[in-house]
Amino acid sequence: MNKEQIENKITQKFGSAIEIQKTKNPEPFIYVSIEKYIEVCEFLKTDPDMCFEYLFQLGGVHYPDDRFEIALTLSSHKHKHELVLKVKLPHDNPKAPTATTVWEAANWYEREAMELFGIQFEGHPDPRPLLLYDDWNYGYPMRKGWTGPDFIPMPDKTKGGDD
Amino acid sequence: MGIIEKAPLYIEKFPGGSVVTTSLESALNWSRASSQWYLLFGLACCAIEMMATGASRYDFDRLGMFFRASPRQADLMMVCGTVTHKMGKRVKILYDQMAEPKYVLAMGGCATNGGPFYYDCYSVLKGVDKVIPVDVYIPGCPPRPESLLQGCLKMREKIYSQKLKDFASDSKMV
Ligand code: SF4
Repeated sequence: MNKEQIENKITQKFGSAIEIQKTKNPEPFIYVSIEKYIEVCEFLKTDPDMCFEYLFQLGGVHYPDDRFEIALTLSSHKHKHELVLKVKLPHDNPKAPTATTVWEAANWYEREAMELFGIQFEGHPDPRPLLLYDDWNYGYPMRKGWTGPDFIPMPDKTKGGDD
Repeated sequence: MGIIEKAPLYIEKFPGGSVVTTSLESALNWSRASSQWYLLFGLACCAIEMMATGASRYDFDRLGMFFRASPRQADLMMVCGTVTHKMGKRVKILYDQMAEPKYVLAMGGCATNGGPFYYDCYSVLKGVDKVIPVDVYIPGCPPRPESLLQGCLKMREKIYSQKLKDFASDSKMV
Protein backbone atom coordinates (compact mmCIF):
# COMPACT_ATOMS: atom_id res chain seq x y z
CA MET A 1 0.00 0.00 0.00
CA ASN A 2 1.19 3.50 -0.60
CA LYS A 3 1.33 6.33 1.90
CA GLU A 4 -2.22 7.66 1.42
CA GLN A 5 -3.81 4.24 1.56
CA ILE A 6 -2.12 3.39 4.85
CA GLU A 7 -3.05 6.75 6.34
CA ASN A 8 -6.67 6.44 5.25
CA LYS A 9 -7.07 2.92 6.50
CA ILE A 10 -5.71 3.71 9.96
CA THR A 11 -7.75 6.88 10.26
CA GLN A 12 -10.91 5.02 9.28
CA LYS A 13 -10.28 2.35 11.85
CA PHE A 14 -9.19 4.45 14.84
CA GLY A 15 -10.56 7.91 14.08
CA SER A 16 -9.70 10.52 16.66
CA ALA A 17 -6.90 8.48 18.29
CA ILE A 18 -4.83 9.01 15.15
CA GLU A 19 -3.08 12.16 14.04
CA ILE A 20 -1.27 12.27 10.72
CA GLN A 21 1.95 14.25 10.64
CA LYS A 22 2.58 15.95 7.31
CA THR A 23 6.08 15.20 6.02
CA LYS A 24 7.83 14.93 2.70
CA ASN A 25 9.05 11.44 3.52
CA PRO A 26 7.83 8.48 1.47
CA GLU A 27 6.56 6.64 4.55
CA PRO A 28 3.62 7.84 6.69
CA PHE A 29 4.29 9.47 10.09
CA ILE A 30 1.48 8.75 12.48
CA TYR A 31 0.84 9.97 16.02
CA VAL A 32 -1.30 7.70 18.14
CA SER A 33 -2.77 8.53 21.52
CA ILE A 34 -1.32 6.55 24.37
CA GLU A 35 -4.60 4.83 25.25
CA LYS A 36 -4.86 3.18 21.85
CA TYR A 37 -1.11 2.55 21.42
CA ILE A 38 -1.02 -1.22 21.91
CA GLU A 39 -4.29 -1.72 20.11
CA VAL A 40 -2.94 0.11 17.07
CA CYS A 41 0.28 -1.89 17.24
CA GLU A 42 -1.63 -5.16 17.22
CA PHE A 43 -3.74 -3.97 14.31
CA LEU A 44 -0.64 -2.93 12.35
CA LYS A 45 0.98 -6.29 12.88
CA THR A 46 -1.97 -8.58 12.22
CA ASP A 47 -4.03 -6.82 9.58
CA PRO A 48 -3.38 -8.55 6.24
CA ASP A 49 -3.10 -5.25 4.36
CA MET A 50 -0.65 -3.78 6.84
CA CYS A 51 1.35 -6.79 8.00
CA PHE A 52 4.07 -4.78 9.78
CA GLU A 53 5.72 -7.83 11.27
CA TYR A 54 9.16 -6.28 11.64
CA LEU A 55 10.04 -3.68 14.26
CA PHE A 56 12.96 -1.73 12.84
CA GLN A 57 13.66 0.35 15.91
CA LEU A 58 12.06 1.91 18.94
CA GLY A 59 13.56 5.00 20.45
CA GLY A 60 12.84 7.62 23.04
CA VAL A 61 12.90 11.32 22.16
CA HIS A 62 13.26 14.27 24.51
CA TYR A 63 12.46 17.63 22.94
CA PRO A 64 13.97 20.89 24.22
CA ASP A 65 10.53 22.03 25.44
CA ASP A 66 10.47 19.03 27.79
CA ARG A 67 8.16 16.74 25.86
CA PHE A 68 8.76 13.01 25.68
CA GLU A 69 7.87 10.79 22.79
CA ILE A 70 8.62 7.30 21.64
CA ALA A 71 9.03 6.58 17.97
CA LEU A 72 8.74 3.18 16.32
CA THR A 73 9.82 2.40 12.80
CA LEU A 74 7.97 -0.56 11.35
CA SER A 75 8.42 -2.34 8.10
CA SER A 76 6.76 -5.16 6.26
CA HIS A 77 8.66 -7.82 4.38
CA LYS A 78 5.53 -8.87 2.61
CA HIS A 79 4.26 -5.54 1.27
CA LYS A 80 7.61 -3.72 1.30
CA HIS A 81 6.27 -0.63 3.00
CA GLU A 82 7.33 1.26 6.10
CA LEU A 83 5.67 3.33 8.76
CA VAL A 84 6.74 5.59 11.62
CA LEU A 85 4.54 5.43 14.67
CA LYS A 86 4.91 8.04 17.40
CA VAL A 87 3.39 8.33 20.85
CA LYS A 88 3.31 11.48 22.96
CA LEU A 89 3.98 10.73 26.61
CA PRO A 90 2.95 12.61 29.77
CA HIS A 91 5.43 15.37 30.74
CA ASP A 92 6.16 14.78 34.38
CA ASN A 93 6.22 11.00 34.51
CA PRO A 94 6.89 9.56 31.04
CA LYS A 95 5.31 6.14 30.94
CA ALA A 96 4.06 3.84 28.21
CA PRO A 97 2.74 0.30 27.96
CA THR A 98 5.30 -2.18 26.66
CA ALA A 99 5.28 -3.20 23.03
CA THR A 100 7.05 -6.50 23.75
CA THR A 101 3.63 -8.16 23.77
CA VAL A 102 3.40 -7.38 20.05
CA TRP A 103 7.02 -7.45 18.86
CA GLU A 104 9.57 -9.37 20.92
CA ALA A 105 12.26 -7.18 19.39
CA ALA A 106 11.07 -4.23 21.46
CA ASN A 107 12.65 -5.75 24.55
CA TRP A 108 16.15 -4.27 24.28
CA TYR A 109 15.00 -1.04 22.66
CA GLU A 110 12.72 -0.40 25.59
CA ARG A 111 15.42 -1.24 28.08
CA GLU A 112 17.64 1.27 26.31
CA ALA A 113 14.98 4.01 26.37
CA MET A 114 14.25 3.22 29.99
CA GLU A 115 17.87 3.66 30.92
CA LEU A 116 18.82 6.63 28.76
CA PHE A 117 15.60 8.68 28.85
CA GLY A 118 13.89 7.47 32.02
CA ILE A 119 10.77 6.41 30.15
CA GLN A 120 9.00 3.65 32.04
CA PHE A 121 7.49 0.76 30.11
CA GLU A 122 4.79 -0.92 32.10
CA GLY A 123 4.69 -4.69 31.95
CA HIS A 124 8.20 -5.04 30.51
CA PRO A 125 9.35 -8.63 31.11
CA ASP A 126 12.97 -7.77 32.00
CA PRO A 127 13.46 -4.13 33.04
CA ARG A 128 17.17 -4.27 33.87
CA PRO A 129 19.66 -1.60 32.71
CA LEU A 130 21.24 -2.48 29.39
CA LEU A 131 24.11 -0.23 28.35
CA LEU A 132 25.46 1.96 31.15
CA TYR A 133 28.06 0.70 33.56
CA ASP A 134 27.10 -1.14 36.69
CA ASP A 135 27.41 1.54 39.36
CA TRP A 136 25.83 4.28 37.27
CA ASN A 137 23.69 6.61 39.35
CA TYR A 138 23.87 9.91 37.51
CA GLY A 139 20.36 9.96 36.10
CA TYR A 140 19.27 9.72 32.50
CA PRO A 141 22.06 10.90 30.20
CA MET A 142 20.08 11.50 27.01
CA ARG A 143 17.76 14.04 28.58
CA LYS A 144 18.33 17.65 27.62
CA GLY A 145 20.41 19.60 30.10
CA TRP A 146 21.93 16.49 31.66
CA THR A 147 25.36 16.85 33.20
CA GLY A 148 27.42 14.27 34.96
CA PRO A 149 30.96 13.22 35.78
CA ASP A 150 33.51 14.04 33.10
CA PHE A 151 30.89 15.78 30.97
CA ILE A 152 32.13 18.73 28.89
CA PRO A 153 29.37 20.68 27.12
CA MET A 154 30.00 21.93 23.61
CA PRO A 155 31.26 25.53 23.74
CA ASP A 156 29.05 28.08 22.00
CA LYS A 157 30.80 28.67 18.67
CA THR A 158 28.62 31.69 17.84
CA LYS A 159 30.11 33.65 20.74
CA GLY A 160 33.67 33.07 19.54
CA GLY A 161 36.39 31.79 21.80
CA ASP A 162 39.68 30.05 21.71
CA ASP A 163 38.54 26.48 21.13
CA MET B 1 60.96 -7.90 40.33
CA GLY B 2 63.80 -10.24 39.81
CA ILE B 3 67.55 -10.30 40.24
CA ILE B 4 68.09 -8.74 36.84
CA GLU B 5 66.74 -5.43 38.10
CA LYS B 6 68.61 -5.44 41.38
CA ALA B 7 71.95 -6.76 40.16
CA PRO B 8 73.20 -3.68 38.24
CA LEU B 9 72.99 -1.55 41.35
CA TYR B 10 75.58 -3.78 42.99
CA ILE B 11 77.68 -4.62 39.95
CA GLU B 12 78.27 -0.95 39.17
CA LYS B 13 80.19 -0.57 42.44
CA PHE B 14 82.97 -2.84 41.22
CA PRO B 15 85.72 -1.52 38.97
CA GLY B 16 84.70 -2.09 35.35
CA GLY B 17 81.24 -3.05 36.45
CA SER B 18 79.53 -0.44 34.31
CA VAL B 19 80.82 -2.21 31.20
CA VAL B 20 78.81 -5.23 32.28
CA THR B 21 75.68 -3.23 32.98
CA THR B 22 75.73 -1.34 29.70
CA SER B 23 76.19 -4.52 27.67
CA LEU B 24 73.45 -6.20 29.66
CA GLU B 25 71.32 -3.14 29.15
CA SER B 26 71.74 -3.10 25.40
CA ALA B 27 71.12 -6.84 25.17
CA LEU B 28 67.93 -6.53 27.18
CA ASN B 29 66.73 -3.47 25.31
CA TRP B 30 67.42 -5.14 21.98
CA SER B 31 65.41 -8.18 22.95
CA ARG B 32 62.58 -6.11 24.35
CA ALA B 33 62.36 -3.79 21.38
CA SER B 34 62.61 -6.51 18.75
CA SER B 35 59.82 -8.72 19.95
CA GLN B 36 56.97 -6.57 21.05
CA TRP B 37 54.04 -8.90 21.08
CA TYR B 38 50.96 -6.81 21.26
CA LEU B 39 47.64 -7.45 22.91
CA LEU B 40 44.93 -7.74 20.33
CA PHE B 41 42.72 -4.88 21.24
CA GLY B 42 40.17 -3.40 18.88
CA LEU B 43 37.64 -1.09 20.47
CA ALA B 44 36.32 0.91 17.52
CA CYS B 45 37.08 2.04 13.99
CA CYS B 46 40.82 2.55 14.64
CA ALA B 47 41.09 -1.21 15.00
CA ILE B 48 40.45 -1.54 11.27
CA GLU B 49 43.63 0.44 10.56
CA MET B 50 45.48 -1.65 13.12
CA MET B 51 44.33 -4.81 11.31
CA ALA B 52 45.41 -3.29 8.01
CA THR B 53 48.81 -2.58 9.53
CA GLY B 54 49.05 -6.12 10.78
CA ALA B 55 48.15 -7.56 7.41
CA SER B 56 50.58 -8.24 4.61
CA ARG B 57 50.56 -4.83 2.91
CA TYR B 58 52.11 -2.95 5.85
CA ASP B 59 53.16 -5.95 7.90
CA PHE B 60 53.83 -5.70 11.61
CA ASP B 61 55.69 -9.00 11.51
CA ARG B 62 58.82 -7.41 10.09
CA LEU B 63 59.13 -5.43 13.35
CA GLY B 64 58.84 -8.67 15.29
CA MET B 65 55.32 -7.81 16.39
CA PHE B 66 52.70 -10.50 16.61
CA PHE B 67 49.35 -10.28 18.21
CA ARG B 68 48.62 -12.23 21.33
CA ALA B 69 45.10 -12.83 22.49
CA SER B 70 46.12 -13.09 26.13
CA PRO B 71 47.48 -10.29 28.32
CA ARG B 72 49.85 -12.76 30.01
CA GLN B 73 51.86 -13.13 26.81
CA ALA B 74 51.74 -9.52 25.66
CA ASP B 75 54.37 -6.81 26.06
CA LEU B 76 52.60 -3.99 24.32
CA MET B 77 49.04 -2.84 24.68
CA MET B 78 47.76 -0.99 21.65
CA VAL B 79 44.61 0.82 22.59
CA CYS B 80 42.95 1.22 19.22
CA GLY B 81 39.64 2.98 19.50
CA THR B 82 37.09 4.61 21.71
CA VAL B 83 37.45 3.77 25.39
CA THR B 84 34.12 4.10 27.14
CA HIS B 85 33.81 4.39 30.90
CA LYS B 86 32.50 0.86 30.94
CA MET B 87 35.46 -0.44 28.95
CA GLY B 88 37.94 1.70 30.93
CA LYS B 89 37.66 -0.61 33.91
CA ARG B 90 38.29 -3.65 31.74
CA VAL B 91 41.30 -1.97 30.12
CA LYS B 92 42.74 -1.39 33.59
CA ILE B 93 42.24 -5.05 34.52
CA LEU B 94 43.94 -6.20 31.31
CA TYR B 95 46.82 -3.80 31.89
CA ASP B 96 47.29 -5.13 35.41
CA GLN B 97 47.40 -8.68 34.09
CA MET B 98 50.24 -7.98 31.68
CA ALA B 99 53.72 -8.97 32.77
CA GLU B 100 56.46 -6.37 33.23
CA PRO B 101 57.97 -4.72 31.24
CA LYS B 102 54.83 -3.46 29.57
CA TYR B 103 54.21 -0.59 27.21
CA VAL B 104 51.07 1.19 26.10
CA LEU B 105 50.44 2.83 22.76
CA ALA B 106 47.33 5.01 22.45
CA MET B 107 46.18 5.06 18.86
CA GLY B 108 43.83 7.70 17.49
CA GLY B 109 42.08 10.73 18.85
CA CYS B 110 39.70 8.70 20.97
CA ALA B 111 42.32 6.88 22.98
CA THR B 112 44.43 10.04 23.24
CA ASN B 113 41.86 12.45 24.63
CA GLY B 114 38.34 11.41 23.67
CA GLY B 115 38.67 12.69 20.10
CA PRO B 116 35.36 13.35 18.39
CA PHE B 117 33.55 12.38 21.58
CA TYR B 118 35.20 15.05 23.72
CA TYR B 119 32.19 17.36 23.93
CA ASP B 120 28.63 16.48 24.90
CA CYS B 121 29.30 12.85 25.62
CA TYR B 122 28.29 10.90 28.68
CA SER B 123 29.91 7.58 27.94
CA VAL B 124 33.44 8.09 26.63
CA LEU B 125 36.55 8.31 28.75
CA LYS B 126 38.54 11.44 27.88
CA GLY B 127 41.69 9.57 26.99
CA VAL B 128 42.92 6.19 28.09
CA ASP B 129 45.66 7.91 30.12
CA LYS B 130 43.01 8.55 32.75
CA VAL B 131 43.23 4.86 33.73
CA ILE B 132 46.64 3.56 32.57
CA PRO B 133 50.02 5.18 31.81
CA VAL B 134 50.64 5.72 28.09
CA ASP B 135 54.04 5.70 26.38
CA VAL B 136 53.27 6.82 22.85
CA TYR B 137 50.31 8.77 21.51
CA ILE B 138 49.37 8.67 17.84
CA PRO B 139 47.04 11.43 16.66
CA GLY B 140 44.61 10.98 13.80
CA CYS B 141 41.09 9.82 13.21
CA PRO B 142 42.00 7.15 12.30
CA PRO B 143 45.80 7.34 11.93
CA ARG B 144 47.00 5.82 8.72
CA PRO B 145 49.07 2.62 8.96
CA GLU B 146 52.17 4.71 8.28
CA SER B 147 51.52 6.75 11.40
CA LEU B 148 50.93 3.61 13.41
CA LEU B 149 54.20 2.18 12.17
CA GLN B 150 55.96 5.40 13.06
CA GLY B 151 54.43 5.18 16.53
CA CYS B 152 55.84 1.67 16.86
CA LEU B 153 59.27 2.93 15.78
CA LYS B 154 59.04 5.69 18.40
CA MET B 155 58.24 3.00 20.91
CA ARG B 156 61.38 1.13 19.89
CA GLU B 157 63.43 4.30 20.31
CA LYS B 158 61.98 4.72 23.74
CA ILE B 159 62.80 1.15 24.70
CA TYR B 160 66.37 1.49 23.40
CA SER B 161 66.88 4.54 25.60
CA GLN B 162 65.88 2.68 28.76
CA LYS B 163 68.40 2.28 31.56
CA LEU B 164 68.53 -0.77 33.74
CA LYS B 165 68.36 1.47 36.75
CA ASP B 166 64.94 2.75 35.66
CA PHE B 167 63.62 -0.69 36.43
CA ALA B 168 65.25 -1.08 39.83
CA SER B 169 62.29 -1.25 42.10
CA ASP B 170 64.17 -0.26 45.25
CA SER B 171 67.15 1.93 44.43
CA LYS B 172 67.43 3.13 48.02
CA MET B 173 69.11 -0.15 48.92
CA VAL B 174 72.44 1.02 47.54
S1 SF4 C 1 39.97 8.22 16.65
FE1 SF4 C 1 38.44 8.28 15.01
S2 SF4 C 1 38.84 6.40 13.85
FE2 SF4 C 1 39.82 6.14 15.83
S3 SF4 C 1 38.33 5.11 17.13
FE3 SF4 C 1 38.07 7.32 17.44
S4 SF4 C 1 36.47 7.90 16.01
FE4 SF4 C 1 37.24 5.91 15.34
